[in-house]
Amino acid sequence: MKVEDLEKLENEGLDHLPSGERRRFLQFGLSVTGVFLGGTVLSLTSAVKAHGALGGMAEIKKFPYSPHYTMVMRQNRCIDCERCKEACQETNHVPAYGYRTNILSRERSIGPDETETIFMPILCNHCNRPPCVRVCPTSATFKDKVTGIVKMDYARCIGCKTCMAACPYNARYFKEENRAIDKCNFCFDTKLLETGGKGTACSTACPAGVRVFGDLSDPGSKAYQLIHAPEKVVWVLRPETGALPNVYYMND
Amino acid sequence: MKFSAKNVFGLAGSLMVGVALLGFSSQAMGADYDEDTYGPEAPIVFVKPVKAVDFSHKIHTMGAGLECDSCHDELFEMEAGATEEKGDFTMQALYDGQYCGACHDGEMAFAANTRCTVCHIGVKGFEKLNGVEEAPAHH
Repeated sequence: MKVEDLEKLENEGLDHLPSGERRRFLQFGLSVTGVFLGGTVLSLTSAVKAHGALGGMAEIKKFPYSPHYTMVMRQNRCIDCERCKEACQETNHVPAYGYRTNILSRERSIGPDETETIFMPILCNHCNRPPCVRVCPTSATFKDKVTGIVKMDYARCIGCKTCMAACPYNARYFKEENRAIDKCNFCFDTKLLETGGKGTACSTACPAGVRVFGDLSDPGSKAYQLIHAPEKVVWVLRPETGALPNVYYMND
Repeated sequence: MKFSAKNVFGLAGSLMVGVALLGFSSQAMGADYDEDTYGPEAPIVFVKPVKAVDFSHKIHTMGAGLECDSCHDELFEMEAGATEEKGDFTMQALYDGQYCGACHDGEMAFAANTRCTVCHIGVKGFEKLNGVEEAPAHH
């Protein structure tokens, strides 16, 4: 059977996964958890969803939310000054031991004796198919039907941390103060409210124009234009999980 | 201007040949480095207006062959911290040819609006220089 045909099959769920099958996956070095949280067994064997890794956006006919909030990271502009992180902590009362957004760094070889540092801002990707939402036993985390923001209902959260394990982007932490998981919500109850949907705390604080917050359902928005610009390579993080993230990366 | 004797740039012993030729890494370290000739060996780390920008005298003097008076005191005062206090030590100023921008214009040296992380080491680079271990992930 071809991958295309396999993909049309309905997910049979976990109940019908025979133990022999599970053992075989473990032998491949894949955790059974990964199979569950990745959604389907097929998502691990198929490469069709990994187009993003080859330099280009996955084909999307229509963005499902309106406004469809997104963030575009012009990664090469990031200098790790971490004003974004400070602004986020202050705006959203994020304790020092956790983060809603963070900066990662790595060295890349650019010649025989030369490396360059790359800073990579990360935050919740507000996935279209969020693994965290799927695994939450109490529906404490959910996808906002209008904006697509992955939100938290703190009162419903029992702190089981399953969503933390499910998130491919390490975008969640357990907040001791309210005994619940906390995460980025694109500042919808803080800065986004203040700015009338124009910007988040982090995007407003960035001095280098790295973070472009915007609405993908609006072709006039800067975010839309950036990721649809011809001859530009745009990528997402970990496209192979099939979570369909809404945070895009590019170099300008 | 007050400066400790160690940091005062000597004019003698100038072994430098030519201007702005690159030849960084093959230079000798430590004992062979003469601070009177080449300026302080320890990196200068600017934290204003953003954290953090790394400047190495060694790369610019010993490596690229610049003289002390190529930059001092016209572009930069020698006193530590003086430039940061000026308030106009910004990228825009660099693009306008001030400070680092006098050379980093894309002709003499790489342009100030390229290769950001060569100088901008960020909070992570700053902490590494100060020996702060990266905090383990919180779970």
